Amino acid sequence: MDKFILRRAEPKDVSDILRLIKELANFEKMEDQVILTEKDLLEDGFGDHPFYHCMVAEVPKQHQSADGHVIVGFAMYYFTYDPWIGKLLYLEDFYVMKEYRGFGIGSEILKKLSETAVRTRCSSMHFIVAEWNKPSIDFYKRRGAADLSLEEGWRLFKIDKQNLLKMSSEE
Amino acid sequence: MKFTICPAKPEDCKDIERMIMELAVYEKMPDQVKISHKELERDGFGPNPFYQCVVAEVPEEHMSKDGHTKVGYALFFYTYSTWKGRTVFMEDLYVMPEYRGKGIGKALMATVAKVAKEQHCVRLQFSVLDWNKPSLDFYLAKGAEDLTAKEGWHFLRFHGIALDNLAQEAP
Repeated sequence: MDKFILRRAEPKDVSDILRLIKELANFEKMEDQVILTEKDLLEDGFGDHPFYHCMVAEVPKQHQSADGHVIVGFAMYYFTYDPWIGKLLYLEDFYVMKEYRGFGIGSEILKKLSETAVRTRCSSMHFIVAEWNKPSIDFYKRRGAADLSLEEGWRLFKIDKQNLLKMSSEE
Repeated sequence: MKFTICPAKPEDCKDIERMIMELAVYEKMPDQVKISHKELERDGFGPNPFYQCVVAEVPEEHMSKDGHTKVGYALFFYTYSTWKGRTVFMEDLYVMPEYRGKGIGKALMATVAKVAKEQHCVRLQFSVLDWNKPSLDFYLAKGAEDLTAKEGWHFLRFHGIALDNLAQEAP
């Protein structure tokens, strides 16, 4: 299978995007943590103030998946800010369905993302990877990525809604 | 001591630049700061701001020995979790050493939490250096969870030449 296209996601793609999000979460062993719905994706990605940008990989109908899907990969990203170097492109999710790997789709997605980053004056592209996910870490390191958690000691923290609400009512 | 927390204005960027450098010195990485107040003004106050910032100010009678009344800041932006939806990422939180212990850090963070709540964000994320015990204690006391320790997430990046190389890779 050599033909595929990469294009900007459209509102009609939200059902496929959610399907792929869940597949990736399943691979990351955290599928039960996905509470996002198609409605959220529509509102948050295609409304007045998009919170994310998305690119999808599409194959021709003759190469559709066993379940009849032609959208076989996606990347979701947005712009963030580093007070030291300015604008960054943050890669939130990046996934290609298992049976479509090895055809250069992932590499092409990454290339398009980095072109977008350079074109929009971003100094860097950041993302997170689980430390046990050796195939992905190797994929990125082969292409020149640096692990800031190992090299500089950065740890990711979260504060969930309950504690956020508590904090927001503090003086 | 009395203080106010207000959204940053373009004229605050020189103070924010000063405090960004102070924080970078504390994080032992001052040589990594490449942008100035000019980029901060352009990127935070144009038609499409890449970050939001709130600043803590004390009355003139409490100004610092160098004559500053802007004594702390929090810089943050919206991000998107494919699992949970809208989130806020707090990129920087800083209070000048001589103004700590007066509730300013807590108030800055409460302001960010309030904004997150108003924008229907479900989570606040941020990163902390693994040796930064005072900050780790501050955040853990507020209910923060270390996702690097708990789930193994590492920060990776494509920066500078690595990003350029990626953008130029043949498909």
